Amino acid sequence: MLKKLLMAGLVVALAPAVTATMAGAVDVSSIEWETNMDDPMIGNPDAKQGGTWKTYMLSYPLTFRLQGPDSNDSFAGWNRAFTMDFTLVALHPVTDNFIPRLATHWKVMDDNRTIYYKLDPDARWSDGEKITADDFAFCYEMMRSEYIVDPFYNTYFEEYYESVEAVEEYVVKIVGTKESWRPLYDYNLWPMPEHVLAGGLNETWVQDHNLKFQVGAGPYTVSKTENGQRVVFERQRPWWGDDKQYFKGLYNVDEVDIKVILDADRAFDHFKKGELSYQRITTAKTWAQDMEFDSIKKGWVHKKRVFIDYPQGMYGFAMNLQDPLFSNKDFRKAVQYSFDFDELNKNLMFGAYFRGVSAFEGTAYENPNLKPYGFDPKKAREHLAAAGFTKRGKDGIFVREDGTRASFTLTYGSPGLTRHMTVAKQKFERLGIEMELLLLEAATAFQRGLEREYQMTIMSRTTNLYPAPHQYFSTEFLDTTNNNNIWAFGNQHVDGLIDIFRFDMDEQKRVSAMHEIDAIIQDEAFYVPFWQAPFVRMVYWDHVEWPKGFLPRRFEQITDWQVMSIDVEKEQALKAAMKAGKAYTRDEVVDVDGWGVKAKMMQAKGEASN
Amino acid sequence: MNFLKLDPLMVKRLQRFRRIKRGYYSFLILVILFVISLFSEFIANDRALIVNYEGKLYFPTFKFYPMAEFGQMDEYGFDDVEADYHGLKTEIATLKAEFKDRMETWDGSAAELLESEPRFQRKDNWVLMPMIPFDPYEPDFSYDEPPPNAPDGRHWLGTDGQGRDVLARLLYGFRISMTFALALVVISQTFGTIIGSFQGYAGGWFDLYSQRFIEIWGTLPFLYVVIILTNFFTPSAKMLLIVFALFNWLGITYYMRTEMYREKTKEYCLAARSYGASSMRVMFKHLLPNCLTPLVTFTPFLIVGAIFSLTALDYLGYGLPPPTPSWGELIDQGLQSDNRDKIWLSMSPFAAISFTLILVTFVGESVREAFDPKQYARYK
Repeated sequence: MLKKLLMAGLVVALAPAVTATMAGAVDVSSIEWETNMDDPMIGNPDAKQGGTWKTYMLSYPLTFRLQGPDSNDSFAGWNRAFTMDFTLVALHPVTDNFIPRLATHWKVMDDNRTIYYKLDPDARWSDGEKITADDFAFCYEMMRSEYIVDPFYNTYFEEYYESVEAVEEYVVKIVGTKESWRPLYDYNLWPMPEHVLAGGLNETWVQDHNLKFQVGAGPYTVSKTENGQRVVFERQRPWWGDDKQYFKGLYNVDEVDIKVILDADRAFDHFKKGELSYQRITTAKTWAQDMEFDSIKKGWVHKKRVFIDYPQGMYGFAMNLQDPLFSNKDFRKAVQYSFDFDELNKNLMFGAYFRGVSAFEGTAYENPNLKPYGFDPKKAREHLAAAGFTKRGKDGIFVREDGTRASFTLTYGSPGLTRHMTVAKQKFERLGIEMELLLLEAATAFQRGLEREYQMTIMSRTTNLYPAPHQYFSTEFLDTTNNNNIWAFGNQHVDGLIDIFRFDMDEQKRVSAMHEIDAIIQDEAFYVPFWQAPFVRMVYWDHVEWPKGFLPRRFEQITDWQVMSIDVEKEQALKAAMKAGKAYTRDEVVDVDGWGVKAKMMQAKGEASN
Repeated sequence: MNFLKLDPLMVKRLQRFRRIKRGYYSFLILVILFVISLFSEFIANDRALIVNYEGKLYFPTFKFYPMAEFGQMDEYGFDDVEADYHGLKTEIATLKAEFKDRMETWDGSAAELLESEPRFQRKDNWVLMPMIPFDPYEPDFSYDEPPPNAPDGRHWLGTDGQGRDVLARLLYGFRISMTFALALVVISQTFGTIIGSFQGYAGGWFDLYSQRFIEIWGTLPFLYVVIILTNFFTPSAKMLLIVFALFNWLGITYYMRTEMYREKTKEYCLAARSYGASSMRVMFKHLLPNCLTPLVTFTPFLIVGAIFSLTALDYLGYGLPPPTPSWGELIDQGLQSDNRDKIWLSMSPFAAISFTLILVTFVGESVREAFDPKQYARYK
């Protein structure tokens, strides 16, 4: 042991210049690399190639940079998709496993913050240069540089990355700042083309690169722009990734033609004229009432509701357990049973949405056996009585013997929800519970939640694949405010379960711990889940084709996993048919449920009504 | 309250106002509408005006009666929820019709039929519903299509996005707007008059400093202050009224100040002072009645401004808390992209606002004309 230390010291003394890479370093040749080539393909490998994908953006990009001022607009999604989205590894959008992207292999060291990545030697920049480890080291350097004028990347890289080094031409070593239980997720990285950018990274970088197109690892490059009007991406053929397992069947179209359309309503009109290939329908009203246009009737356009399984985050009423009224479990349950989701869904939302149940909706950890409370005045009445509310007052609101009324204030910050809440309020009132509405400015309402200065509020949080029960349900946050445990919930038992989820390496144990937490949360009844939309509603022209299941299970944006393709022959035929006014047989199947999401929803709903 | 006693000049001005027909009738219409709207609960309500049930009279307008009172029961088997007067009315009408049908085939007398089927006794009850049998809060989801529903015989101006009757909301909204505007005008004009009078009468350092304060205060952006205050206080009608008043008293001070400056140099003022009248007495008893012209002529326009700003704030979502019936909130609904084809949502509040504001403006113009001193101007 001592000898080893001395030897290390000697090396340091002799060669100070190389200590960073060598001290405590692992011999790269001895690493047992890991990879994952067993997951299914994401796209359809037999998809037709060619054609133009016609889409839109809300404004012409102010810059083609992806860092620095003005770089995050509605064009950035496409721009990023062919550059920064090409990271070392990616999460498979169906299996949630890590899969190779620019790295073929990786190795997470025992400290859970040091990772070695072996790069794909085939990978090329769009200008033909090799993508090497230096490009990743350069990315790290660049993202921390003040010259990019981007505080977000500056602080993010300070906080998360300790170092990024090029160990060999094709081996990158990334060290994160702290131990992580999902290191590949936290310490992933994309390359920046050093040979293009290194010379120009100085005070004028922001101005110099305003109008320079990105050199990326992706299959498309900007081929044409019309200032203020459109940007066209063209497919490189061949592209280095063409034969890679997880790229097969993606990026099928020859051109992506993005034109400027100032708002989504107008884009829908452009779509109907055939100027866009596809349109995502975001409002329930449009979906319910504006879907019977000519091209749909004639079968030239198809409409689909594709169910996807994306983590939904917590969204619903949150009750303050430190409030005298809501500290009573029976009162909480009475409120649960008084919330009439079906009435809201039917009358205000065109029946478009599904009731949420779990606190971990859409993740691998949601408890599949939970059923929503459902609207049940009888049970609500029983729980009200159990909470001491037995008599109705003069105004019809229940009162306890001591004179406390069944009345509380809902603090919320989203004006769009007022219509739902006023209807819910009337319903509560009928059942003898008074809910006053207090609409605040969004940031204030949010802050009041964090400070627990509310009785009931509306909680809305996003999540990723990994829920964070610790911040929401741990006793650690009981005595302090300004944290996500806005309900002031927590007990020893749940703490133990949370620790299992956080630290246990056995996935099975973690899942069952989370299921138990989920069930406890439902039983404690301080969270009333609202609704969720686990689907993508879309319309597209007949010549657009999709793989089986249409979209990957974890679909977010069309730019993420470009599985669509265009059949050029069908496009010609459609043109002729439209000219001749010839109708196709209409495709009557609307719902696509490749991942069993709808089936699960319907089951939960059906059993709940019993 | 001596200064309210009308001097001959004031009487003359009022007579002149009466003679300007447009303004006078506008004034009458406004007053009548406002008085009517004070009784909105008797005009638009889903509680009945009068119920005659089993020989007993009920007046439920302001009182909660459970279903049990009228032998009703809801779909979940509860009879202590609020009575359903629409349902009661329909039930009685159906019974009546059924009774009539049965009588055609019945051999005996009506009394005998009643005796054999006692349920028909309920047919003699009656329910008198208000003219608009909907209150401005309760959603009506009885249509097949989700709301907003177009105007029809049931809802004369249709329903809004939550299925609430638009006409009822307009009516209650009118009452709230007018009450709010009147209260605001009274508060801010009173305060502004007092401050302005003091400035003009006292002059000197008080005038100097308070005038600077008013100038600075007047540059505060009203809307931002409202938004900031809603972060600290629970938004309510009272709070809005205070905030509005804080910014509305400034205007009149300028005029009262100059009026006072002018009047205090006149002989009658000197005379009053030499009699030993206190400053207060001189100011409010002797000078103020001669300074009323700007106060009276500006007031109608202040009302216009108040209604307009309240509507604007409601439209922006910083106004009265939901679910208060409000014109601004209706316009907001009408202009949402989902509702652009629901023309009644934007047209009815728009018409209501235009109508009210035009009436008030007519009144204002006529008052100004009636008070115009130029009619007596003599140019030598």
